[in-house]
Amino acid sequence: MNLRYMTKELYYQKRRTVMSILGLSIGIALLIILNSLSLAYRQAAHVPLKEIGADITVQRSGDVPKDLAGAVFPCSAVTIRKEEVEKIQKLPGVRGIGTGLLLWVFDPTRAWIVLGIGKENSIGPSLLRSSVTEGRFLEDGKPEALVEQAYARQFGIKLNDTISVADNKFPVVGFVDASRAAKIAVANVYLPLKEAEDLAASSKELQSVSPYAPGDVNLLFIKADQEKITSLASEMKGILGNKVTVATPDSFLKLLGSLFALSDKFTLAASLIAIIVAVLIAFKTMAGNIAERAREIGVLKAVGWTNRDVVSQLMSESVIQCFMAGILGLLIALVASFGLSFMKVNIPIPWEMSPTPHFLPGGGDQIFKTLRLPVHIPWTLAFFAVLLSIIIGGLTGGLLGRHISKIKPSEVLRHE
Amino acid sequence: MSKSTILSGTDLSKKYGDLEVVKGVSLAVNEGEFICLVGKSGCGKTTLLSLLSGLEKPTKGKVTLDGREITTSSEDELALFRRDNVGFIFQSFNLIPTLSAWENVALPLFPIKMTSEERRRRATELLDKMELGHRMDHLPSALSGGEKQRVAIARALVNHPKIIFADEPIGNLDSGTGEAIMGILNRLHKEEGVAILMVTHEDELAKTANRLIRMKDGEIMS
Repeated sequence: MNLRYMTKELYYQKRRTVMSILGLSIGIALLIILNSLSLAYRQAAHVPLKEIGADITVQRSGDVPKDLAGAVFPCSAVTIRKEEVEKIQKLPGVRGIGTGLLLWVFDPTRAWIVLGIGKENSIGPSLLRSSVTEGRFLEDGKPEALVEQAYARQFGIKLNDTISVADNKFPVVGFVDASRAAKIAVANVYLPLKEAEDLAASSKELQSVSPYAPGDVNLLFIKADQEKITSLASEMKGILGNKVTVATPDSFLKLLGSLFALSDKFTLAASLIAIIVAVLIAFKTMAGNIAERAREIGVLKAVGWTNRDVVSQLMSESVIQCFMAGILGLLIALVASFGLSFMKVNIPIPWEMSPTPHFLPGGGDQIFKTLRLPVHIPWTLAFFAVLLSIIIGGLTGGLLGRHISKIKPSEVLRHE
Repeated sequence: MSKSTILSGTDLSKKYGDLEVVKGVSLAVNEGEFICLVGKSGCGKTTLLSLLSGLEKPTKGKVTLDGREITTSSEDELALFRRDNVGFIFQSFNLIPTLSAWENVALPLFPIKMTSEERRRRATELLDKMELGHRMDHLPSALSGGEKQRVAIARALVNHPKIIFADEPIGNLDSGTGEAIMGILNRLHKEEGVAILMVTHEDELAKTANRLIRMKDGEIMS
């Protein structure tokens, strides 16, 4: 391989070089963009759960209460027994569990969505600790309440006011801004789990629909090993029965409805097509280029270049062109992914996970978590794409070089 | 084969399908000899030159170059043999358009392990001899026909060949330039002692050669 010859060939045959590089770079860019988009949708699907510090949420559906009075469970989140929680906790792959108790409280003058939270747990809605806008977060052993900021504004609730929830008095110790939260496990009022348990245990209406004892919960937030999420989801269904709703990043991905989000198979098929198109473009362009150089190859062989010399020269040219195409493809993909990262994606939150009663105004509306598509190109994908370009260059140059090197110099040089 | 014979072809035939282009030709070239192979277009002289130089294999017969039979050699062995022993000059120069004059001259040396400076030094020497020292870095597109052929002659000489095969070397040049090129070939033959086997269809050019061989219908007439 002669470096001087190679660089001059690429420099002076600009049209050939540019066409080869452009053709392949489009294929490589397509490959990178497709995979980045697929990855971005996958990451987006993690967001609703990630925002509450969980990988899986679990709730169980039950019957609708006959009378909407006092504290009741939403029909999409009824009792999960303490023993069931313990069983889930012992499943291999479960790294931690956060619990919550979601109640609808219908007082004569007002309806509350109340969420009892474990204060010290880093998994689940206790993450709201960082969203306190005024006052302070809940403290252990105190019957006190946090109120959602917008709700407090709407109903004129002030810091240190005392609110009455199902005939229980709670001083308001702070406000939280849940507007940026995941739309899952959000409420109007947040109470210590113990207080919410007492409300649930003392409600006859609630007990008549779904028997409840302190220690039971109706929302589970689970941290799990990423590779075990799918198998854990089915094991939990085994423990909690058919009426359980297990939300995982995969279940959100399915709700996204995008082709990129639907399946790995689509991305794989599209990537394969992009690679095949890239290879065909590279092969066709370079085959044309090399065919144009048949006489030149004949001269090289006439003056003493062996087949191996010819192949290694053509291969090196091809590898360099494809390497440059890989880099250009990567740059195109970087620009495209920057553009795509401004795209907004709406992740629908399933109605079962919406805390608002459907019969209240706005309660039946589909809610979405809206976020910017987190498109980025991982360095492994970038490295793979450039490596693939080099391999395509090597194979294309090698195959075409082998073919053209068999040419007889006398055949191309005799027709002057 | 006498000691001074560097190239001999014995009973050479070449067939393309049913068409026999070269018919049982035998020919010997001695060291330092300048031979002109003359004949009309299509008489088989270029094919004979290809057979003798190892660019093509005969259907029948054998070629011995510098004491070695080349008809049984593999393609790569032939290429290496040509690199070390043979120079070519073509009618349409066949310079590589993307390489400068000196790089074209050094083309046979590219696959050989040597420094770029050494290649350039050898190419420069030859281009100076061809009075093209001032055109070393020019691309072929910037050279006249005569200059291109002088670059091609320098390329043919860069590996210190024992014999140069020239196929209609002035066929694409005007008469003045053609004469100048013939002058260079004569000088090479006399001063460097290199053997030349030149194919031409012009009898006039053949006058300067030591020996004239006429071909007709694939056979040697005289």
